[in-house]
Amino acid sequence: MRLALGWFLLSTLFVSGYALSSETFSESLKITPLPDGRVSTTFSFNTVLEGASPRDPCSLTSQDASQHYILFPLTLGQILREYAVTELHLSLNAGSWNYERWGYPEEKGVGTGAELWAWMGVDESKSVDDRWKGLRNALAGLFCASLGSLDEQRTTSPDRVFFPQGRLPKWSGNVAHQLRHASLPSEHVCTENLTPFLKLLPCKSLSGIASLLNPHRVFDADWHGMGVHVLWLGEAGVQVRLTFQSVMDPLRSSRNFLRNWSLQSLFGHSIERNCPAASSSAIHVTFSSTENPTLTPQPQTRSSTEVRYDVLNVEKPLDIAMQWRDEFKYPSIFKSSLPISVTRNLRGFTQASGKLSLILKNHRSTPQQLIYLETMPWFIQFYLHTLHARIEGHIRDDIISDISYNAAVAHSRPTTFQAVLRLPPNSVTHLTMDLDKAFLRYTEHPPDAQRGWDLPPAVLIPLNFDPNDNNSSHILNESRLGEPIYTSTLLVDVATPDFSMPYNVIIFTCSLVAFIFGSVFNLLTRKFVVLHLDPNRQNN
Amino acid sequence: MSTSKSVSSNSLSAATSGLLISRVVSALFGLSNALKHDQLLSTPLSSYTHLKEGIFLFKNGIDPYSGGTFRHSPLLLALFSVVLPESQKYASLLWTAFDFAGAWALVSIWRARQNVRKTSRDTVVAASYLLNPYVFLPTLALSSSSLQSSITLLTLKYAAEGQASPSLFFLSVLMHIDLSTLTLLLPILLLLISDPQSHLASPRPLTSNLRRTLPLFGEFVLYTAVLSVASTVIVGGIQWIPQTWGATLTLPDLTPNTGVWWYFFTEMFDHFRPFFLMVFSVHLLIYVVPMCIKFQYDPLYATFLLLGVLGTFKAYPTLSDPGLFFSALSIFPEVHPYLRHPIVTALIHLHAALLMPLFNHLWLNTGTGNANFFYASTLVFACGNGAGLIDAVWAGLRIAIGKDTEGYVVVQE
Amino acid sequence: MHLNRTWSTEVKNIAGTNAYGVLASPRGPRNEAIVISASWLSRTGEGDGTLNLRGVSTVLALARFLKNYSLWAKDLVFVVSDGYLDGMHAWLNVYHGAQLSSRYWLAGKKSTSDRTSTDLKAEPLELTSGVIWTALSIDYPGHSFSHLGLFFEGLNGRLPNQDLMNCVQRISRGTGGVPVTVYDHLEWQDPATSPSELSFLPSPLRHYPGVQDFAHRAKIIARHIGYQARGRASGVHGLYHKFRIDAITVFAIPATGPHGFHALGRIVESSLRTMNNLLERLHASFFFFIITAPDRFMKIGSYLPSAILISVAMMFRGLQCWVDARWHTDQPRSEKRDYSTWFSTKSRPVVPALAAMLLTHLLGAILFFASRSSWFLGDQKLYAPTFALAILTVPFALSQIPHPRDEITAPFWLVLKAFNLCFASTVISTITILNFSLAALLAVTLGFPLTLSGPSDSKLLSRLKCLFYVFLASAWLFLHQETREAIWNWEILSVWFAPFVCLIYTPLVLQAAIVCVLPCS
Repeated sequence: MRLALGWFLLSTLFVSGYALSSETFSESLKITPLPDGRVSTTFSFNTVLEGASPRDPCSLTSQDASQHYILFPLTLGQILREYAVTELHLSLNAGSWNYERWGYPEEKGVGTGAELWAWMGVDESKSVDDRWKGLRNALAGLFCASLGSLDEQRTTSPDRVFFPQGRLPKWSGNVAHQLRHASLPSEHVCTENLTPFLKLLPCKSLSGIASLLNPHRVFDADWHGMGVHVLWLGEAGVQVRLTFQSVMDPLRSSRNFLRNWSLQSLFGHSIERNCPAASSSAIHVTFSSTENPTLTPQPQTRSSTEVRYDVLNVEKPLDIAMQWRDEFKYPSIFKSSLPISVTRNLRGFTQASGKLSLILKNHRSTPQQLIYLETMPWFIQFYLHTLHARIEGHIRDDIISDISYNAAVAHSRPTTFQAVLRLPPNSVTHLTMDLDKAFLRYTEHPPDAQRGWDLPPAVLIPLNFDPNDNNSSHILNESRLGEPIYTSTLLVDVATPDFSMPYNVIIFTCSLVAFIFGSVFNLLTRKFVVLHLDPNRQNN
Repeated sequence: MSTSKSVSSNSLSAATSGLLISRVVSALFGLSNALKHDQLLSTPLSSYTHLKEGIFLFKNGIDPYSGGTFRHSPLLLALFSVVLPESQKYASLLWTAFDFAGAWALVSIWRARQNVRKTSRDTVVAASYLLNPYVFLPTLALSSSSLQSSITLLTLKYAAEGQASPSLFFLSVLMHIDLSTLTLLLPILLLLISDPQSHLASPRPLTSNLRRTLPLFGEFVLYTAVLSVASTVIVGGIQWIPQTWGATLTLPDLTPNTGVWWYFFTEMFDHFRPFFLMVFSVHLLIYVVPMCIKFQYDPLYATFLLLGVLGTFKAYPTLSDPGLFFSALSIFPEVHPYLRHPIVTALIHLHAALLMPLFNHLWLNTGTGNANFFYASTLVFACGNGAGLIDAVWAGLRIAIGKDTEGYVVVQE
Repeated sequence: MHLNRTWSTEVKNIAGTNAYGVLASPRGPRNEAIVISASWLSRTGEGDGTLNLRGVSTVLALARFLKNYSLWAKDLVFVVSDGYLDGMHAWLNVYHGAQLSSRYWLAGKKSTSDRTSTDLKAEPLELTSGVIWTALSIDYPGHSFSHLGLFFEGLNGRLPNQDLMNCVQRISRGTGGVPVTVYDHLEWQDPATSPSELSFLPSPLRHYPGVQDFAHRAKIIARHIGYQARGRASGVHGLYHKFRIDAITVFAIPATGPHGFHALGRIVESSLRTMNNLLERLHASFFFFIITAPDRFMKIGSYLPSAILISVAMMFRGLQCWVDARWHTDQPRSEKRDYSTWFSTKSRPVVPALAAMLLTHLLGAILFFASRSSWFLGDQKLYAPTFALAILTVPFALSQIPHPRDEITAPFWLVLKAFNLCFASTVISTITILNFSLAALLAVTLGFPLTLSGPSDSKLLSRLKCLFYVFLASAWLFLHQETREAIWNWEILSVWFAPFVCLIYTPLVLQAAIVCVLPCS
């Protein structure tokens, strides 16, 4: 009887909520040895809520339907529906991705620190900015990260660079979508962020590929980052992709300079059992075809540059290992697989001004077009008239075009600068721009050790462009965008006032003002009189 | 006749030689580029770099007032983007020309005050403006505060010569460049209805009818309205008002300068900020009426004293603001014997003038000093300015009593 | 990752190649860095050609060793700079995007008169890192060492943060077990020997510990003043200071033992870890100090008043002259009680006095440009006396200009002296914060002479006095090597000692000379 009642209750629950839509979960891990001896690993956990669609912002005033999921992370789902977020990308990375040596990452968002961007439908009842504020605070709570400080002073909407990666629903009433983007380069990513991340997975870190995510090892990597991506795939439903990337250095602990690795040596674990919720679970190992390392155990499918292990169907425990016979030889030149490479620096050493300097190299023998996005907190003030592109010391006017500039507003809005750069073939372009470092109020400085302010990375996106077609080169759309390249972050020294001085300064300045004011009014109001001095009387 | 000619040629030669020196120096050392960023010589409201940025944005179809650092008046924006070519060479010529105009205006004021056509002191008066380092250096740095000083002097020149319309027009332009010069309105109106001659030694109540200022005030309002409308048309909206006038009242940019505001509002508690902004703004106005009442017999002297107040207490001062005050002291030679402590004021200024750039450098460049160093030096500078102002007030009042007589002293009740 | 790239700076007769590598910090955002550097030439004899072989090998060995640790929160930049100061100067300037000095290159100590108008050139750096916070320069010329010597004076009298020195000093003693000394003064370590400077003292006094101790400290301070007052860097580290980087040189004093590579490696590695742990820049209040012993220093409050007091005294003397010039008394005070007739007021010739001062400073400027010129440096033996004579003519020429000698004008010399003293006092008190050693020297060389200047009744005595002041003003012209180096430092490293002497010091003393030959009243 009880059992029957239970079944009845359960089935009603399923019928009323989202239980109608079915959910699938798949996981994969990609391991790639890199040319400089390091090993890159990319975990990807995919949950698809089939047939579901994002919440229409017009329905925000009415009560939302209750949510029930089996595999889909409920905490995340609640946030998405509460703030009617159509598309969401959050990445938390530590370190600076070395594009020259490591090539493009598997997951594109590798900017240092935290980066959050979302596309949201516009509705009058609850403004996008309000929902954005709620969203970042909710995510801050969910991931134990200081996303709450991604406030108005850091929020921009660079919609020429961050196009939606899924589809945007067309709701009734022609609801437009808006982008909000913010990054926090000083965010330190560590265990406290990984734990809530793992909790979103159906098998946590107990089984399957996720069991390899051992904080002791992944946070000792040379680079690591995690990401949360929510997209709407149209009819197929809403997809949540949780990713974790790391770049580890087997050479660091190797005594004989061999770059051998195994799951055990990289993560300190091997895979003991399957995740029962996963519909697929695969490990891909890639290697360059010129080298011939030995792989154990024997892979199930093999091509010339990649092997695949179907984790669900191999013998456990699974510990994949790759071994080289020869000592690692450090390549003297890295041949970049990217069309361009970029170095960004802040020149100058005074605390009042500086110079932003970008060195862009085009490695290809064809001209390259790219979008250049720079977002800066308000205390970095650009001088656009000093923006110059030089090649071999000569100023070239034909390189920068299509500038869109949103100047900063002191104490509130950040700067957004977007431009299209056109790099001649096989060239080195020096881009420089003067900037001022503003002086902050003493309450605007964080109550921390004052190491300076981290500035967000610039983003460069190469455009696929046909040099013969002049018309298309001016139209920017999603299809022309290549993969983004994040530059390293910058550290800026902003002059500090003396934090122990507020009372003293108020007292000193006010005293001075009062003294001068008093003296002047004293002179103006009192009468002048002539006194006769009688020296004799004075002496008596 | 011949002496007056030689005197005028003297003054001319002094003026030109001063200018020549300035040009040669700046050309030789490329000083403009070195000084352009000096915080003592130009503030965010008067910096040439900011002006260039605004013109660049304006020419490229981006609204320079939508944000950012451009806080110059739309009039300057229009002047440089439409009327004059914008390049540093032309700019240094223009700034030099303005300096020249300022010196000429100061000499004219001096002549109007003496009510003679030419005097032997012309040279000294012109030199006191052209060779004053406080005036000279901001010009080299191409700071728009030197334009402002020159326009102030032109306003006073026309007011002293009794030409109401050009005077009020220049005052209105001046107010568009810097809101705080509004404090000069009342004494200039008084000057227009009375005469510029020195009555310091013989005080008397104001004889003219105060009602006569009303049409003049109306004229000023008219010019201001016309210029405001013109600015709005140039910019295409009223967003220039919070960026230019608003900045002098709300102090959004806390870049250090020679004044007393910046560190005070850097260190101010957030919830007291609006209150103290109000206090500091109103404080500038407090001096106007008392000075005008006390010096009603000599409104030019009242204007001069208010220039001293502005140089000490305005929101974004540069060296040229106190510089204007000290240069203008040269047209009041009658008060010089009554200054109580000119050497002390001069020494305070010497110290401050050396310490301010030094401490600015120690704080921002070498990092061995901190903000308090520079703040302390600006306090010394404010003391020097205050000492000059107080002494000028004293001397202006003391002169009425006459020369020291042995056995008698003059004190205040 | 360690990688060497080369670049060169080309000047007329110095072209060099610096080698450097950047070890990116794991998980670091790559925007902070620490530099470990060794110049190719050791500081022994201020870069006389001794190679810094072991210093360079230490840097290379450290690069290899430190790479195996994942604890670095900041990038490590290893630099092996060419030459003594020139290589690092070029590297730092290029790293910070600063314009290399565009002044004319002066051919340095060796070549004499030829110079070219070629600017310094340096190739841009291929690898970059972030803001450099601290730097260690390693100097290890011998094959073993007994002590580590710390060198810290930077260009223009800038000192590194004292915390950095204290850290290295403690680590060296604690971790490395290596005794530390200031500079390469070793007498300190051995109480049995007494410094040769004390040989004039009778034996018992010479061996009295208190005296010895004092002598050692005095020697250190004298050397400190020698570096700081002239704005010289005592080693390669001095170049960093301009860029707000705290740096010191660790000098392994050559000896037959007992310490070697291993000890130095441990000390440097440990120091680097200390710097790596810094969360913010070293605090702003530890830049003013005088080191008297490896573990003793004088704080600013104990030495600054000395110069300030002299400067204040000069100011008072100047003000006294100013007052004296206005108020003049003929009768002794006690004769009459009616004070109104004690004094008579006079008008003071302010403008002529200022004009005379301006003239001397203009002459100083001319002197400065002349002494930078190739012909001066080419034949210094000829031109130095010429310049000195030219300076000598100035006071005598000025004394010939007729002065009003009436009762209502104050004596010109008194007003000039008042301004001279006030200005000198202002200069001294201002310089104390920037470069205390220079201010102290000025207090000595200007303080007493300027206060005592004035015409005497005897014309001969006045002229002798004037000669003395002219000698004081122009003596530096005859120090050939010093002049040359000071000008080289100005041209290349922007050390403002040379222009300061020409534009401020010489004119001030010259004004005193003028005061001496002016008519008495």
